Amino acid sequence: MDPAQERAIEKLLEKVEKPARYTGGEMNTQVRPWNEAEMHFAFCFADTYEIGMSYLGMKILVSLINSLPYMSCERVFMPWVDFRAGLKEKQIPLFSLESRKGLNEFDVIGFSLQYEMSYTNILDMLDLGHVPVRAADRGENDPLVFAGGPCACNPEPLAAFFDAFQIGDGEEMMVEFLDTLHACRKEGLSRSETLMRLAQIEGVYVPRFYEPSYHADGTLSAFTRTDERAPETVRRRILKDFSNAFYPDTFPVPYTDIVFDRIVLEIMRGCTRGCRFCQAGMIYRPVRERSMDRIIELAEKLEAATGYEEMSLSSLSSGDYSCLKELIVALMDRFQEKRVSVSLPSMRVDNLVKQSLEELSRVHKSGLTVAVEAGTQRLRDVINKGVTEEDVLRSVTDAFDSGYSTVKLYFMTGLPTETDEDLRGIGDLARKVVSAYYSIPKERRAKGLRVTCSASVFVPKPFTPFQWAAQDSIGTVMEKQSHLRDYLKMKGVTFNWHDPSLSFLEACISRGDRRVGEVIYTAWRDGCILDGWSEHFKYDVWLKAFEKCGLDTAFYANRERPYDELLPWAFIDMGVTQRYLQLENERAKKAQTTKDCRKGCNGCGLQRYEGLCNV
Amino acid sequence: MKIWLTMEKGARIRFTGHLDLMRTMQRALRRSGLPVRYSQGFNPHMLLNAAAPLSLGMPGLREIIEVPVGEEITPEAFQERLNAALPPDLRCRAARALPDEHAAPMALLRAARYLMDLDEEQQASAACVAALPGMLAADTLPAVRKTKTGEKPCDVRPMIYEAQAMGPHTVCATLALCEAGTLKPDLFLSVLAGLAGVDKPDAFVTRLQLYAMQDGALIRLEES
Ligand code: SF4
Repeated sequence: MDPAQERAIEKLLEKVEKPARYTGGEMNTQVRPWNEAEMHFAFCFADTYEIGMSYLGMKILVSLINSLPYMSCERVFMPWVDFRAGLKEKQIPLFSLESRKGLNEFDVIGFSLQYEMSYTNILDMLDLGHVPVRAADRGENDPLVFAGGPCACNPEPLAAFFDAFQIGDGEEMMVEFLDTLHACRKEGLSRSETLMRLAQIEGVYVPRFYEPSYHADGTLSAFTRTDERAPETVRRRILKDFSNAFYPDTFPVPYTDIVFDRIVLEIMRGCTRGCRFCQAGMIYRPVRERSMDRIIELAEKLEAATGYEEMSLSSLSSGDYSCLKELIVALMDRFQEKRVSVSLPSMRVDNLVKQSLEELSRVHKSGLTVAVEAGTQRLRDVINKGVTEEDVLRSVTDAFDSGYSTVKLYFMTGLPTETDEDLRGIGDLARKVVSAYYSIPKERRAKGLRVTCSASVFVPKPFTPFQWAAQDSIGTVMEKQSHLRDYLKMKGVTFNWHDPSLSFLEACISRGDRRVGEVIYTAWRDGCILDGWSEHFKYDVWLKAFEKCGLDTAFYANRERPYDELLPWAFIDMGVTQRYLQLENERAKKAQTTKDCRKGCNGCGLQRYEGLCNV
Repeated sequence: MKIWLTMEKGARIRFTGHLDLMRTMQRALRRSGLPVRYSQGFNPHMLLNAAAPLSLGMPGLREIIEVPVGEEITPEAFQERLNAALPPDLRCRAARALPDEHAAPMALLRAARYLMDLDEEQQASAACVAALPGMLAADTLPAVRKTKTGEKPCDVRPMIYEAQAMGPHTVCATLALCEAGTLKPDLFLSVLAGLAGVDKPDAFVTRLQLYAMQDGALIRLEES
């Protein structure tokens, strides 16, 4: 930035909400000075600072990239509307927090894709950073822009905007990717040749080497390579040695409040449960645990480096970690004197032993969260959610007995085969939870019962057994929500629901094809940004964008797709096979459950690769 | 025993609010492993005591924070270990050991010196600097102070200990800062702009020094 721009930024900071979002300088974020790195990486998060800074994947990757001797990695977040307007007005490019360099000054720009409804922010950030938004418009000297993260498993809606995608675990792939890019730079390869080299890396997808074609009815007819050197199938990158994989031993410590302001220890990746709606449960297979020794070592280093008073154990299903109890006890023994509390964010009810609840409450007392997902056993069987009513009631009773009075129950509406009976089931369960509280003698239970029932709207996701399913129309969802509101009218219970229009668009985009990219572009150009923030969500502009592009929302969201339809993400081998997903979908229709694969392999597809799945 | 720290809060983190800053100090003290004393009771916490919170957006070069400690430690060692644990824009410039009986910094605080960099792109800035001698010559300076309960007329002249121009757009002033009466740099500038007959210019204000009173004269707070 030149001095005039610096001055303008300082003036702008005086006027905006939460200026500390833009100033950086936090503990443990100092990287090498700009001039000391050969290549510069802008790690972008398409949402605000408070959200991005809470995201573990960013901490892992920023730290990993900075560990490469030739790299420096700086952070860039989506600015809030006030700061964004100021940047535009003064023509200051969106800049990194560390060195205040415009996005256009970086060699590589990497986005983490967490949520479909943040896609317009990506376009906006590139544009604010003075980087051409479309990959096709970027020249030899423009930054290379790529993305990774869970939503990259269907990269097609964003294919027009990214030069490349990283699909799968990033720890090893990122290093290979950057090493390759570094070598290409040294050799002076062209952009296109560089991308072809990158495309050879397992997990990397370069959209420009592929081309979709469509049937008259709009479905995909073929997905072909435009260059035979690109791989026919993009195979997801899977980290084998999870225990010894890179993990940061310092975390940035923000000055201001962020959503999760604590040490996060990822104890396990993947999940063996096989819930049929859950994309994470399918795309992070197989389950891999980090060793207890390694977790404790990291916990000690992180505590010393951050001074945080709280650490949480994170994974899709921490309760399944083989020596969870031993781990919690070991951590508490080590850290109690230092007044560090230990928490498990997603506790599973079915294996949550009362004792570990008591262990937890020794240091930290928060509410109990139970993801029940569906109101009847039949529907829970359809989605293969292995939780029974007895499990739920036993664990809430235990929790009430150990002095908790706040319980959160999570449900989904619009699941395949859902009927009114399933909705009533949610009300019945809530009633039983309330009675469980009153069954504890008054002296023993904590005051102020609060049961929160949250109902999200089911969004069918790629690479799940429900990837072919139709989403309920908005009208149907609203009707169901209003019934639920009635069923949940009772003392001590509050009901939260999601905006169905947001979930509807999420469904359109998550299973979208390359043409949906034009819709995203149009919506953004017509003013959509920060769609995940209800005050900025412009549903009508989105609908118009679909119209302008000649695409039908129902085609993407509300249509049941036949098995023989070519899916836009079918060229990716996620590990789990399409055949297995189909089998699971058929079992769902019959309400047949599939066992947890710790009890025996179900043949999901990962077993095809020697030595990968060691469940 | 307690330690008085002279802290510099850098310009980069000037938007860190007081509570966030205290939390940052606590975390740094935890990282340092220094023998800080905690409060008794169910929810023990560090008993940090700042002389005066800084306004949002204002850096401070010599802010005083008091830390009670449980074991004997030399101020030099304390300063060194703390600096090793602090983020780069928050620095400990000096440390001084004091007995527990010594008054709290807040109780001794009387005034602060500010550097006000007026926006050089605004014409009002030069006019303000030019009006400074007139301001100091006045016997009374009536102004309206905004308080929690409403607007209060007051005379700000006695709350100005000294003021001088440091350049064509820069003013330095020592203003009252205590229980009995505080003159904020913002109000000082409003009054000055009023005398100059211009709108108050934008200013970048830094708090340079805190003062106590001894024998009728201001002395640096860290030496009181
Ligand atoms: S290969 Fe078998 S054990 Fe491994 S994740 Fe798939 S179903 Fe489970």
